[in-house]
Parts: sequence; structure tokens; C-alpha cells
Amino acid sequence: MTAHDLKTTLGSAKPIVDKTIVEKTHSIEQIRYGCAIGAMQSVVAIPRAIPITHCGPGCADKQFMNLAFYNGFQGGGYGGGAVTPSTNASEREVVFGGGERLTELIGSTLKVLEADLFVVLTGCIPDLVGDDIGAVVKPFQQQAVPIVFAETGGFHGNNFTGHERVTRAIIDQFVGPYDGAPEAGTVNVWTLLPYHNTFWRGDLTEIKRLLAGIGLKVNILFGPESAGVDEWKAIPRAQFNLVIGPWLGLETARHLETKYGQPFLHAPALPIGAGETSAFLRRVAAFAGLDKDRVEAFIADEDARYYKYIEDFTDFYSEYWWGLPARFAVIGDAGYALGLTRFLVNQLGLIPARVIVTDNPPEETRGLISAEFRAIADDVAVDVAFEEDSYTIHEILRKTDFGHKPPILFGTTWERDLARDLKGAIVEVGFPSSYEVVLNRSYVGYRGALTLLEKIYTTAVGASA
Amino acid sequence: MPINLKTPVVESREQRLGTVIGWEGSAEELAVESCFKRGGGCGGQKARRVCELQSPFTQGSVCSEQMVECQAGNVRDAVLIQHSPIGCGTGQVIYNSIYRNGLAMRGLPVQNLHLISTNLSERDMVFGGVAKLERTIRDAWERHHPKAIFIASSCSTAIIGDDIDSVAAAAESEIGIPVIPLHCEGFKSKHWSTGFDATQHGILRQIVRKAPEKKQEDLVNVINLWGGDVFTPMLGELGLRVNYVVDMATVDELAQLSEAAATVTFCYTLGSYMSAALEQEFGVPEIKAPLPYGFEGTDAWLRAIAKQTNREEKAEAYIAREHARVKPRIAELRELLKGKKGYVSTGSAYAHGLIGVLRELGVEVEGSLVFHHDPVYDSQDPRQDTLAHLVDTYGDVPQFTVGNRQQYQFYALLQRIKPDFIIIRHNGLAPLAARLGIPAIPLGDEHHVVGYQGIVNLGESILDVLAHKKFHQDLAAHTKLPYRKWWLEQTDPFVLAKEKQAAQAAPRQPAALSSSVRRVGAK
Repeated sequence: MTAHDLKTTLGSAKPIVDKTIVEKTHSIEQIRYGCAIGAMQSVVAIPRAIPITHCGPGCADKQFMNLAFYNGFQGGGYGGGAVTPSTNASEREVVFGGGERLTELIGSTLKVLEADLFVVLTGCIPDLVGDDIGAVVKPFQQQAVPIVFAETGGFHGNNFTGHERVTRAIIDQFVGPYDGAPEAGTVNVWTLLPYHNTFWRGDLTEIKRLLAGIGLKVNILFGPESAGVDEWKAIPRAQFNLVIGPWLGLETARHLETKYGQPFLHAPALPIGAGETSAFLRRVAAFAGLDKDRVEAFIADEDARYYKYIEDFTDFYSEYWWGLPARFAVIGDAGYALGLTRFLVNQLGLIPARVIVTDNPPEETRGLISAEFRAIADDVAVDVAFEEDSYTIHEILRKTDFGHKPPILFGTTWERDLARDLKGAIVEVGFPSSYEVVLNRSYVGYRGALTLLEKIYTTAVGASA
Repeated sequence: MPINLKTPVVESREQRLGTVIGWEGSAEELAVESCFKRGGGCGGQKARRVCELQSPFTQGSVCSEQMVECQAGNVRDAVLIQHSPIGCGTGQVIYNSIYRNGLAMRGLPVQNLHLISTNLSERDMVFGGVAKLERTIRDAWERHHPKAIFIASSCSTAIIGDDIDSVAAAAESEIGIPVIPLHCEGFKSKHWSTGFDATQHGILRQIVRKAPEKKQEDLVNVINLWGGDVFTPMLGELGLRVNYVVDMATVDELAQLSEAAATVTFCYTLGSYMSAALEQEFGVPEIKAPLPYGFEGTDAWLRAIAKQTNREEKAEAYIAREHARVKPRIAELRELLKGKKGYVSTGSAYAHGLIGVLRELGVEVEGSLVFHHDPVYDSQDPRQDTLAHLVDTYGDVPQFTVGNRQQYQFYALLQRIKPDFIIIRHNGLAPLAARLGIPAIPLGDEHHVVGYQGIVNLGESILDVLAHKKFHQDLAAHTKLPYRKWWLEQTDPFVLAKEKQAAQAAPRQPAALSSSVRRVGAK
């Protein structure tokens, strides 16, 4: 069998025939992202930062309960959950405008809550009635209150859009200008969407550990390993920006390139497993001009440990009697979908039956994403589908050929019934994961990959008898 | 004034009942101020007036549309369309999880809910979203062939003025199933419970059978949420069958609401509108009694049902049997719980019932936080005055607070009382209590506390949760709250509201907060 034949049989993810399955409309059933104001969770992800929401009474609750609670039960954090101030806009703010009410809320927030940074986020109501948020926030900024604002009304886009807007607002309104020299060996990392990605805390921890391991000083910016606003203030001093993932963060990196003259490195695939992670680290090290010996020593050490476990796992993987899944589907954000697919194909030798990207990447990034999926391995190409409506997604999956064995689905809670119908297994790896309790679990890097193996095969074995 | 089912828009709670979301005093004082059973002097008019405290600082609340999501969106063979940008649809996640677990608990087939967002964009805000709504209705029909389609409005589609009523009417005549517009935009009402009413309003107008061919003399409507099936065995003792609505019901079960012999509920906050309307429009009597919590409440509730359905003998036998069955264990529980202090923080009428049960168990209850207060319910019948029933049966609750889930106020409330545990249903408050070393009983199954067995259940749950204290005390030693020292030192949770009130009462004085901003602006 030639490589070309393999490509056609293994890479069996045929072009999506969704046009014949169901007519594509704007409708979204069983959502896979929040709206722009969901980026309040990006604020919560910065230690000691608190969002202030100017929106209807339900918006803040909707975003946090769904992105942060019924998605891995991650929790409200310091200033999230029911702590988050909100104008709870009423008919009065709709009719007369909500500027005055927002001023009142910010003023009283400063009396009640303690934070290093406040970020005002707007919902549909103020963005439709035309409240001048800049005029409300400016007097506080002039008073040296650490406060910025971002327009995040739901109709502007999803929480990925909101995340880039919030990030930019903090950089432009809080971090401010810088014309000093760059600090060699320091990097700003732009990667997974906090909270929306169920495992972001553990993953960012592993990513920081890896980059620090090869000798970088890391501004991880979000999550438990971030130093909070001090780290954000240090953004302009970094030598470069590192975007990990196919598209999220690119807009921010380009903005920083213009604003501070910082170069950026784009690593489209989230590294999962030793092969991917070692290659990723070598690429970063070359870009940053790091000491080769130190980098190679770190990689060798991590490799050795990783492969010790893989060796032990091999007994199970090669001898287990009762069958393990061979074909898989991934339904998730471009970032995780790409990283997972590469790992499942290249490390485990599983066969991709279908990959569906659900985070609505900007049109101009889809060519790159498709190309990445076509180059999963020399002998495996995947034709990725972009789809956000779960009804359509499930129709596609029901018509997918998973071969002679039950498939394994890497998806969300929405796929639980489908997995049951297909008599397959489900591993919830993305929003919403309502049947996972996640603390510091990670699926990336060297360590995360091993945890992922445990999860996959505990799921398979656990359901066997 | 009767309920008006003629217009598609439901009247809000504040219009109908005089609902408030900020108040403090004792339960007795609130009962008097509400003029439901107590006062009498100001009875007659529709919405009662209770003085309300409005704080300048507010934390995120909950909106009416969310309650539509979790009611209309959980009807098993219907589809709910959320006519909005994608953000309103985010709530599908929580209500899917609750729906699935509710179905499993009730022994029904587990499935995902069917909610579809019209997913409106900036362009639609300018040109209107009606065409997309029409298309999404078509999608809903082609995909699922539901027995009914609900349409929830949103803040944005209400502001841009999309005419969902006309779209729904046209679709209904084309498809031939009820297509029901629900006006539930969040900014229209200060309390989310208006969303319950919006859903029920739509069901009453377009699903409930108008002229039922038959009456089912042994059928009782139970207006509830996702709770376990405790009403079937209870009412089965009286030879009655149960029609649970709205969550997890089928459209047919909603249609037969008008055929039942009576309507009951586990909570008048939820059931008030539907029950009163069923009586007014369809002659289905609403049971006018305290809710079935504690011995007194459950006795009275069962007797009222028995009287309505002519089953008094069976009821008396059941009541006597149940008293004898549960009393020994309750006596043991009272011993075990002696000296324990509880705090209840739930929806309004439900809290009245829970406090009663705690007192039956000998637990001290000095305070309670309810998320809103309805001075009256839609029936206007004083036999439903659950607050007065609580005070009359079990005595006053000295520190009774109304607040729409404002976590910052909860701190001072807990400091005053220092309870051993709290009982909650809604999210957001237990995490604070936890950080103060106080464990919470989250009542996911709202029926856990219903009836005689409910008294035992709650007692056992308290024993479980008191053991949790170890976790919480450890946490309390290792956590930092986001509240400023100044705020943590306040003993009055409404101090900011009172400052604002005082500033407004002195019109020449600029309000405290705007003055600081004016200073800032002058720079």
C-alpha cells in the first residue's frame, strides 16, 4: 500500500456533504459558545481583576453559570460568579439611557470591592441605546482608578470576539505606551480561551512550565500561574509574543506588533504528547534564540520520563483483550481539535473519521486551519468541517462511517446522546462539559498527554463490563 | 382585578402583585406591610405597596428570559426558539444539564433539550431579525416536528421592536401547531419570576384545551420544577393522579390542565399565576391552603385537597398513619439537631415553608433571605398567605431580608446570625458562605422537603451537611474575599441603599456617589 493509498483510506474524513444533509441556516441549536460579554470570564481569569457588567439582569449570570459552572464546574473565581457587579439594566435605562446608572455602579463598586483592575463590559442594551461608556469611564481613569471598558454587546460576536476586545482594551487603556528596550528571553503567551476551554487552568500551567523549562520568562497572563496586573504591565517589555493555537490571539499579537514593535511566533497546533511538544519547544527556542544545550537537556529529561510511562502503558495498549476504539471524531474549538487530532493520529495511531471545528474562526483564518488539518501526518489528511449548529453537527456524525467498531467521540455534553446511539464512547473535552469536574487537569504538553491517555482509556475500559 | 389572558404580553409581577426585591425587617412586619392576610385595611387594589430599598451597588441578578428557558425550554416535545443574539442561548447549557438530571430522577428517557437561537448579528439589529425568526421556526419544524414551538423575546429584539406576535401567528396558521410568543425581555421586570408567568401565560393562551370534552375528576395539576416524584405516592393515597407541569411535561399534559379536578404547587412563587388563571378561565379550582411543609402545612394542604375532591376519609387515615410513621424519627432528629442554627435563602414562598420545617426539627431560625417578596399572590386569597402562616404557626423570624441574590449583602446577614448551615437553591450565595466556614444544603430536588417525609429528609440532610463543616472551616482559613474592609465592617447590608435614599430625600444635596464623580469630572 503506498502512502497515497493510505491517505485515501486512513484519512477517511471525506469532504463534508452537509449541504445535502441539511440546509445550512443561521440557526444555532445547542450552543457551543457564549456571546461577547462572555469575555467577562477572561477578566475573572486575571488574578484580582473584576468585571463590571452594564447589561440586562440575566447576562452576567448566563455567562458565568454556563461557561464557568456547568462547564467543568470551574467556579466563580475571585471576582466572577455572583460577585460580579451589574447594572441589571431595567426599562429606565432602556428609555433614558444607562450612563448615570453605570456611573453610580462604578462609584459604589469602588467602595465595596477590592481589585487591581476593573473592566467594564457592555451588553446589548447599552450598545443598542447608545450609552457613551467612554465618557462614563474616563473620569474614573483620570482619577487613576485602574479601570477600562470594552463594548461586548452580544450582537457583536461570540466570547472569542469579546476576549480579543477585552484584551485590547486592557492593553490600550491600562498597560499603555512603552518605548524602552525589550527584555530578552521574556514572552507573552496568547492561547486558550479561559473558562470556555474547560481545561485552560491546567493547560496554561503546563505551557508555562514548558516554556520556563527551556529558559524563558513567561507572562502567562491568565489563570493561577499569572502574576496578575503586574504581568500585564510587563507585556510591552517582552521580547516577543507567542500565539499557540490556530487563530485566537493572532489579532492581539498583530496589535502588539504595531503598538510595541514586538515580533510574534505563531504555533498553530496546541502541543500534545512528546513528539509535538519537543518540536514546539525547539521552534520557540530557535525563534527566541535560546541556549541550545539547556533546551535539549530539558527536552531529553521530559522525553525520558514521558516514554517511561508510554512503555508501561504499552502492555495495556497491546494486550488488552476487549477491544479499544479505532476511529474517532473530534468536535470542538479549532485549537483543541487540531492538537487532539495530531496526538490521536500520530501518537496513538487512531483513525480520524470526522473533525468538526465549532468556534466560528474568522473567515480569513479558515484556509490556514484547513491546511493544518490536511497535513496531520504524511499519510493522513483530514477535511475539516466548520459548523456551529449542533443539529447539523449531529446529522453529519450520524452519517459518518466509523467502520466496524464503536467510535470514540471527543466532544461536549451535547454529544452524550449521540455517543449512546452510536454505542460509542464520549470524552468531553470542550464547552460545554457538564459531566466533568475539572480542577488542574491538563491535556497538553508532556504531562497533559499522559492524563489524556488515562482519561481516554479509563472511559473505554470503564464502560466494558 | 382578574388575570388578563387577552393580550400576548404578561403583566409583570410588580404590576400585578407589587413585588419588591429589597426590604428588611421581621417576618411579622413584612406580613403586616403586605396587607395580604394580616393588614386587610389596604386590601382590594391589585398591586400592594411595600417600601423598597434600592441600592446603588448591585451584583448580577437573573432575568425573566432565563426562567422561560428553564420552563418552556424543558417541555419534552416542544421547541423553544430564543430570538436574540447568541448570548441568551448560553443558558441552554445549565438547563440542559438540569433537564437531563431531572429526567433521570423522574425515570423518563434522558435527552438533550431542544432550544434554538436565531443567532442575531449586528446587521439584524439595524434591519430587524424577523426574517431570521421565520426561518428558525421553519428549522424547528423541519428538524423536530414538535407539538408546539415557543418563542422567547430578548432585550435586543424588544428594543429593536421585532414583531414576534405576527410572525408567530402566521407560522401557527401555516404549520398547524401552537406557535407561542413569550414576552420575557430581561429589562421589563426587576424580578426573574415574571418569566415563570410569561411561560404560563403563553401555555394558558395557546396550549391549554379551551373547552375540554371531559373532566378528569381524579387528576391534580402539580406546578413544579424538576423535582422527584413525591406527589404521586402522596396523592395516590387519596386515589388521585398527578399532572406535573411545566418542566418535563409533554404538550398533551399541558393541554389537559383544564381537565383536572384541582391545581396545587410546591411554591406559590412559581404556581400563583397558572393556578389562579386555571380557576378563573377554566374553572379548575386552586387549592387555597398553606404549602405542604411541616405537619401543620401538610395537614392543612391535604385536607384542602381532600375537601375539594371529596376524599376526606382517605386523607384523614393517611394523615394519621404518616404522623405515626415519621414522628419517632423526627423526635430523634430533634435531639441530634438541638442547638443548631439554620439560615434559609431561597425563593420566597418556598422559604416560608422551609423555615417551618426547620422549626419542626427544633433548629433555630433567626434569619432568612428571600430573593423577592410578593405581597399577595394572584388568587388574592389570604389562605395562601404563606408568610402569615409561618409567623402564626412557628413564630416570628426576627431578621427577614428580601434581596435579589446580592452576595455582598449576604456577608453581613451571615455575620449577624452565624448559622451552622444554610439552605439554598439558587447559585452564588453558598460559595460565600463556604468561604466563611458555613456549609450549605443545595436543594436540587425541590420536593426533598415536601410532606411528612420531607421533614425527615431535611433533618437527615442537615446531619450530612454538618459533617461538611470540616471542609469549609479549612477553606475559611485559606481564602480572601473580594470585598473591601470597609464593606466587611458594615453591619447593615442596606447601608448604601439608605445613603442613596437619604440623598434623594434632600434634593438640594447632590447624591453621595455622583458628587465624587463630579469632583473627578471637574479635574
